[in-house]
Formats: sequence, structure tokens, C-alpha cells
Amino acid sequence: MFIILYYDVTEKKCSKMLKTCRKYLQWVQNSVFEGEISEANLEKLKYELGKILDEEDGDSVIIYKFRTKKYTERQVLGIDKKEDTNFI
Amino acid sequence: MKESIYIFSNGRLKRKDNSLLFETENGDNKFIPVENIKEIFAFGEIDLNVKVLNFLTQKEIIFHYFNYYGYYSGSFYPREHYNSGYMILKQTEAYLDQKNRFYLAKKFIEGAAKNCLKILKYYDRREKDLNKQIKEIEQLVTQLSNYEEINQIMAIEGQIKSIYYSCFDTIINNDDFVFDERTKRPPKNHLNALISFSNSLIYTYCLSEIYKTHLDPRIGFLHTTNFRRFSLNLDIAEIFKPIIGDRTIFSMINKNVITYKDFEQQINGIVLNDKGRKKFLEALEDRLKQTIKHSKIKNNVSYRRLIRIELYKLEKHLMDEEKYEPFIMDW
Repeated sequence: MFIILYYDVTEKKCSKMLKTCRKYLQWVQNSVFEGEISEANLEKLKYELGKILDEEDGDSVIIYKFRTKKYTERQVLGIDKKEDTNFI
Repeated sequence: MKESIYIFSNGRLKRKDNSLLFETENGDNKFIPVENIKEIFAFGEIDLNVKVLNFLTQKEIIFHYFNYYGYYSGSFYPREHYNSGYMILKQTEAYLDQKNRFYLAKKFIEGAAKNCLKILKYYDRREKDLNKQIKEIEQLVTQLSNYEEINQIMAIEGQIKSIYYSCFDTIINNDDFVFDERTKRPPKNHLNALISFSNSLIYTYCLSEIYKTHLDPRIGFLHTTNFRRFSLNLDIAEIFKPIIGDRTIFSMINKNVITYKDFEQQINGIVLNDKGRKKFLEALEDRLKQTIKHSKIKNNVSYRRLIRIELYKLEKHLMDEEKYEPFIMDW
């Protein structure tokens, strides 16, 4: 499964969110991540993020799920900050 | 599907924020999503500390490292996480039981030979004249059943391999890549360098897959178990060397993706350079992710997955549930 995830949280929680997401996904832009992930790992990630989130502060995370990357097209204007991490 | 990471740059691998960070020499920081990887291949000069090793063990990630020339030098094989005394006993039992060990060894050779044949037949259909060699190998495969000792079938395997390799020149038909003879440690020409590199990678992929099962990589059946190295992965790799490695080599050379510029001369042999290695790994990674319809499972499985399925079949055989039959390409 391929997902795109982005979050909007209060400033204090930003770095926590960043660190958690970085374990599972590839960083694309500030507060935006994408990557291949398994069903189980997505649940783990959602659980970890849920512990950081606080609805009273108006925090939210949005996840787009795709069964495969096949039918998506990725277009970039300007600089693509995402790097290929498989071959370093 | 968890991914493999290939590190070519020099630098330092660190544990940071419960994830992995790779700092390259020129100060670039690259985060590696630790939950999404199953193995790391290190080709560059990399520093790491015990903290990282502990972390890799915790996350069950195997770390394979290669030396300056791209030869496999070893793996960090984390503590077994599927411990099963039962399986080890069964595996040893099968090894010690002459008949059973011989059956498995023969099946590995048979599988390898039949997969080689499939490839030769494929190219034969594409107007490369290989009829004579195909007949010879088929003849040798039928002879396999007459023998009762490991050494004898190893000799047959050697003959099959040398006929198979003699077909390479016909299949490739490229003056930059002549086969000549199989030379190892170090390979003497370009094609041999590619074959060596590809084989050593397939050994490590098999090792990574064995780690995910209850099997013990130290007890092989065709390759004699000894004090030094893993041998079960060498057995399993026999079946996959032609269908994964050799096919990638052929397609890369025939499509001119890899050329003689991707190699460099070392003291007494030829090895791939960094760019060549990268190209080959990218192609191999694509091949491993490619899926085929599996006739028994009736579903699409990737080549990578096939290796694991092979190991499960072996486990079943060892537990006396189902006789082991090697995987043979069916096209």
C-alpha cells in the first residue's frame, strides 16, 4: 500500500510528529510524508500518532491510501525535496 | 513489502530519534525509514557503533557488507528471532540421514539444471542455436538418478554448469562480453565479474529470507556444512541464480544498459565500478519486485517472495509433511 500523509499540529508537537513519521515514511516537505507501508505498520503508525495528537488543540492528520502507486502520477513544480532513499 | 537499502556513499550510520540516519562524508543527512526496511547492503566505507547494531537487532534488520571491490565479506546476522529447537533437530536429522540429504541435494541440482534449461530454450526459440547444448544437459539431468553420492552429483552439476556457461557467448553475442571460461576470485573478464557479483548478491538475498524462517542457514544439504560459513543459502541460491541473476545479466547486456565502461581493472582481475554496481543493483531490484503468476498458489508473487516460498517448502519437507520439489519456471 502506498500512502500520503500530512499533519497540522501546534508548533510544540511538530518535531514529535516529524520523528515518528520518519520511522515509517519518506519525508517530502514540511509536514508531508509519503511511502510504501504495510497494513500492520500503518496501524502502528496511526497508534503512535494518536498518542501525540490532541483534538483540543485542533490537531489533525490526513492520510491518503492507494492500493498501488501504479495509477498515480506525481508532478513536481520547483524543487523536489524527496530523495531516493533506497540507493544512498 | 519491506524494502532493501543500498549504501554506496561513504559516511556514518547512526541511530537517531528511534530511526536510522545516514550521514554522508559531505554532510548530507539521509533518514532511512527503519520500520520499512528488512536489510541493508553496504558497499561504501561506513562507520557504525554498537548502538546501531543493537537497534538493527531489535528491528530484525540484516546488514550485509561488501569490500572495496564489491565482494561479499559478511553479514551482521541478528540474534535468531524465530527460535525453534524442533526445526533445528529436523534439519540436522535430514542432514545426517544419507538418503534424505541426498534426495534434497539432488532436488537442488535438478531445480537449478531445469531452470537453466528453461532459459536456454527461451533463447533457442529466439533463433539462438542452442539445440545441441540443451540435449546434452537434458541427458545429464536424466543421469542424475543413477548416482548415490554427493560427490558424484556435484560432478554432474559441474558438467551441466560448464555446458550452460558455454552457451553464454551465443546468447550475448557481444565482443565486449566474451565468456571464455568461468574465473573467480578475482574474475578475469567482464562477464565473469558480472556473474560473480550477481551470484554473491543472490546468496545474500537467500540468507535474508532464511532469517525470516525457522531454518538454520548453517546446515546446508548440497553444500557441505563446515565450521566457517553459511551453506543453506548457497543451496537455495542454486535454483534462483539462473532465473534471477543470469536473466538480469543477459537483458542488461543485450539492451546495452551495462557496457565495458562500467568496469575497472584491478591488480589481477576485473570488477564492476561504483556506477556499474548501482546500475546492476537497480535492475536486480526491479527483477526481484517483478511478479509472476504462481501455478500452485494461483496468485501473483514476486521473485523475492519465491525464495521464501522455496524455504517454506523445505520446512514442510523436513517436517515430513510434503516432499520437496524445486521451483521451476513455467514459461
